[in-house]
Amino acid sequence: MVAVIPEYLIPIPEYLIPVTVLMCAAALVPLIDAICRKAGFERSPGIVATAAFAIAFAYLLKEAASLPLEGSFRPFGGTSLGVELKVDSLSVYMSLVFCGLGLAASLYSIEYMKEDTGLDRFFLLLLTLVAGMMGVVSSNDFFNLYVFWEFMALSSYALVSFRKYTWEAVEAGFKYLVMSTLGSLAVLYGISILYGLAGTTNFEGIRQVLAGSTSEAAYLALALIIAGFGVTAALVPFHTWLPDAHPAAPSSISAMLSGVVIKTGAYAILWSLFKIFDPGEYGYGAVLMGFGALTMTVANVMAIMQRDVKRFLAYSSIANMGYIITGLGIAARALGVHGDVAAASLALLGALFHVLNHALGKGLSFLCAGCLIHEVGTRDIREMEGIGAKMPATAGSMAVGLLTLAGVPPLSGFWSKLFIVAAGLGIPGDPYMVLITALFIANSVIAAAYYLWLLQRLAFKSPTERASKAKEVSAIMLAPVVALAAMCILVTIFLGPTIRLIEYAVGVIVGG
Amino acid sequence: MFVRELYAAAALLLVALGLYCIASKRNLIKTIIGIELATLGVNLSIMSNGLRIVEETPAVDALAQSMTIVSIAIGASVAALALALAVNIYRHYGTLDTSKLRRLRW
Repeated sequence: MVAVIPEYLIPIPEYLIPVTVLMCAAALVPLIDAICRKAGFERSPGIVATAAFAIAFAYLLKEAASLPLEGSFRPFGGTSLGVELKVDSLSVYMSLVFCGLGLAASLYSIEYMKEDTGLDRFFLLLLTLVAGMMGVVSSNDFFNLYVFWEFMALSSYALVSFRKYTWEAVEAGFKYLVMSTLGSLAVLYGISILYGLAGTTNFEGIRQVLAGSTSEAAYLALALIIAGFGVTAALVPFHTWLPDAHPAAPSSISAMLSGVVIKTGAYAILWSLFKIFDPGEYGYGAVLMGFGALTMTVANVMAIMQRDVKRFLAYSSIANMGYIITGLGIAARALGVHGDVAAASLALLGALFHVLNHALGKGLSFLCAGCLIHEVGTRDIREMEGIGAKMPATAGSMAVGLLTLAGVPPLSGFWSKLFIVAAGLGIPGDPYMVLITALFIANSVIAAAYYLWLLQRLAFKSPTERASKAKEVSAIMLAPVVALAAMCILVTIFLGPTIRLIEYAVGVIVGG
Repeated sequence: MFVRELYAAAALLLVALGLYCIASKRNLIKTIIGIELATLGVNLSIMSNGLRIVEETPAVDALAQSMTIVSIAIGASVAALALALAVNIYRHYGTLDTSKLRRLRW
């Protein structure tokens, strides 16, 4: 007699190891901390978390070397009870970005957070945050995606209000919680409508049922999904939580939130829209382009007026989400209205490449801003003027990050914007597309101006009283900063291989 | 007959009540109650969409049930975190009135 092994007991496939490592490490962090604390060693949480991120990152790099790969996993067998996990080039690419920035933020936090208490909880939440994001990108089932989404969202609410002894963190955290939960509920309502239409929550299953026909219910679900994920993706007018929540969080968490968490919103919009709704029949390209243009214009105007360095960076994150969403919109319109696969691929390539560039640039800028705040003791840009001479390594790295964000030509930020613009202008005879692309170019120029202005104030003005007392931060805080700056430059040098990696990811959406 | 439509209407009503509660009430606890009401409405919507009439007897799909249970658990964690934040806000401000704590632009 051969014992029948239930299907849900089969071991997990190899490509789910990175998520599993992070989840297990999250469970182990408090345990190891409790043991080490008895022995008098208090820094174990940061070391365990950083090691887990490093292992997961190494695994993902190994996977990235063997692209394109594809696979899906249903732990409950064929009758998928709302659970299906997948791996493809897109999920590997997004996971690499998330995990890479997680590694940098974790390493940075070891030193940056050393004066705070409850570090086991901090690193636990950081691990579950990244695990949730990587789960979102490896879900092939809408409800499964929602569960990982909430995993990520709950961790980020708690992390924003981690310094609960300050009024700002608690109030910003509560505001973020209310708005983001309403967004999640809108998404869940949309999922329930789609489930009612299709009888399944599997992306492939819903797509097959919806193909070839449109209905009011499906339009309602589409609207709820765009609005719901739009809250996390900080689309104007759902963005108001972001300029409060990102500055209130500890700097390493601001880097995570601005660098990758809001990108998860963009990914969720990309995946759920392009996978379920046919861009031709539902015509959401124009809506996404409109949202994108509105978002970048409002955010760029608001960013110029900020005096708080972290609030400034937060508004510029909203503007960059506008670029990414516009890229997605151009892709959807090119694919749906014009049937132009080449232009759609180019726009998606630009949007996904911009995800990487903005994650690196903004993560780097926030970590550098953290170093500056650590030394100056205030977030006011006017107090920080001329600090570059006192902290050359930090200011130099920040310059690389700001120049990447500004899109100064040889750096990678320029290429991603160029791809989106080229795709937008590549289709003649569509005045709406040309108008949005013109807005895109104008916004890029404004944004470049204020990044350079910030850089000029930090680096070339004569130091203020407080700035002249600053000195360079310790090596362990500087290491992730310099590493991210090096990554910005390396992506530019190895532009070809990077774009090939992203082309595989684009192929998952338009080619496969 | 119209079992499914009735449940769907009730779900929509609950969501609308929850949103009204969040938008109009100034007490943080009432805001949290509003979130919970909206969560309940969405859960009911999942159940109503999973309703199948088998031989004139209404029955709910197992997938809808598993989804609702997971969603209830998530709703509970959100409520717990929101209440924890409300306690901390009370410690800072000595009040739960949102109109008194708008130091951030809401």
